[in-house]
Amino acid sequence: MNRNLFLREFRSNATGLLIWTAIIAFLTTATMSLYSIFLENNTKILAMISILPEGALQFKGVSNVNDLFSVLGFYSANNVIYMLVLGSIYSIVLSSNILLKEEYGRTAEFLLSWPVTRGQVFFSKLAVVVINILAINLIITVAGYISLETCKKEPYSVDAFFIMSVYTLLLHFFFATLGLFMSVLVKKPKPITTLGVAWVMVLYFIFTISNITPDLSWAGYVSPYKFIDLDVVNPAYALDLVNIMYFTLFSFLLIFFSLRIYLRKDIYL
Amino acid sequence: MSTPAIQISDLTKRYGKDRGIENINLQVEEGEIFGFIGPNGAGKSTTIRVLLNLLFPTGGSARIMGLDILRDSKKIRAQTGYIPSEVNPWPDMTAREFLRYSASFYGIAHDAKKIPELMEMFDVEPGRKISDLSSGNRKKLSIIQSFLHTPALLIVDEPTTGLDPLMQSRFFDILRSENRRGMTVFFSSHSLSDVQMLCGRVAIIREGRIVNVEAIETLRKKQLKKIRIEFVDRIPEILTGMPGMKNGVNVSGKAMEFIWSGDMNGLIAALSGKEIADMTVEEPSLEEIFMHYYN
Repeated sequence: MNRNLFLREFRSNATGLLIWTAIIAFLTTATMSLYSIFLENNTKILAMISILPEGALQFKGVSNVNDLFSVLGFYSANNVIYMLVLGSIYSIVLSSNILLKEEYGRTAEFLLSWPVTRGQVFFSKLAVVVINILAINLIITVAGYISLETCKKEPYSVDAFFIMSVYTLLLHFFFATLGLFMSVLVKKPKPITTLGVAWVMVLYFIFTISNITPDLSWAGYVSPYKFIDLDVVNPAYALDLVNIMYFTLFSFLLIFFSLRIYLRKDIYL
Repeated sequence: MSTPAIQISDLTKRYGKDRGIENINLQVEEGEIFGFIGPNGAGKSTTIRVLLNLLFPTGGSARIMGLDILRDSKKIRAQTGYIPSEVNPWPDMTAREFLRYSASFYGIAHDAKKIPELMEMFDVEPGRKISDLSSGNRKKLSIIQSFLHTPALLIVDEPTTGLDPLMQSRFFDILRSENRRGMTVFFSSHSLSDVQMLCGRVAIIREGRIVNVEAIETLRKKQLKKIRIEFVDRIPEILTGMPGMKNGVNVSGKAMEFIWSGDMNGLIAALSGKEIADMTVEEPSLEEIFMHYYN
């Protein structure tokens, strides 16, 4: 790793980190502020939910309608889109551009002509990605925890909340390494932000379709979202070793192959 | 015998089916100012980018100061300065920040005196954002960053593009003085006059292949001029088929264009007493030189 490169990269991504963190933390806390109104109108809400098509709740990862009335169930159902989708978009956009921007911005002609190895460039940038993802997850988790503590009407499982946060973090790392891998495959230097966002949306769409269509449940395994357990209200909710292995293995493989390709990559300017 | 500054052996780079460079062989001696000249798209930048390990060769090998360009790339770059043809530093940085950032990779302190000295010499405003700088000012920044660590080898790719004549001359002065102190210069350009002004030897590259490596003196003896003469009446017969005249074109019956090679006095003697309306003498383009010598 190269300290100068790391610091420069960290500084140049700080504004993006602050903006994304503020947006997700705000959406999370704003949504949680609606929990008490939700509880007060439970009869009306149950009536509304009863007319929704079967599977609509599963779209939000809710298996039982009563789960929505627990503070953790409400948090999970309503924040899934922010934490799992927006957070993943942030991760893939950050990582897919972090190496590639030196090529399409043509700054690689300076950076790679200075005494720094490709490996140092790769790991310095990867470290910034890791730190940014850790930071955004830490702040969102703290914001979520404060919201839960503020809004709760009865006790909830704090362990389950932190387990869900670990899954979220693993998912973000997965998308970050996917973004990195995509970027080293690019031959013509140009931004791939749209492609990254499309990947997140497509994989989330596959997951939701597989959730609400029993015949297509097998397709969900294509998506990393399938390996996120959102059934937080379940008393047996715990970290699943297979799921953790899935994310860890894929993330390490994507980093390994990204590095291999980057070390031998022609930098076209 | 000292190790060559650059030793290139059968170096080839292909872009899929497209040509890059083919079997380049070159040797640049330590302390030389070596010209590398060719028209746009000839393979000059590709050669440089392979030497700096931005691109990987398809075949062949190269060594810089005895170090392998693939295995020892970082060590090579620690002793090499590079001025790219198009200068695109990070646009969010100021001029000073860019130079400090560059210096930090060479272990040079950010408050090193050399940074403000060079900025003053090249008339660069330290606090200006790079996004607000003209291409000429960006080129100056690129020149400064290449000198900060006092490199043993300087690789320059079209360095004078965008520089005004005063800065060009200042840059050439620094090149000469650093060269006297032992710095080797690999000077890539499409400008024959720039190369003639600075270099001792020159390699001519065309369509990815080295056409010739010559001493500048030899090239100078082959001095070519592109001449256009417009006569008041018709073109005098004495001019047609004169030895030294090549590629003569009768433009309008009164005017003719040709490449002149050889003794200029012969041409002037032939023109004496003829009524000339207009006459221009200029450097031929590289393509015209290639057509003349190497086709």
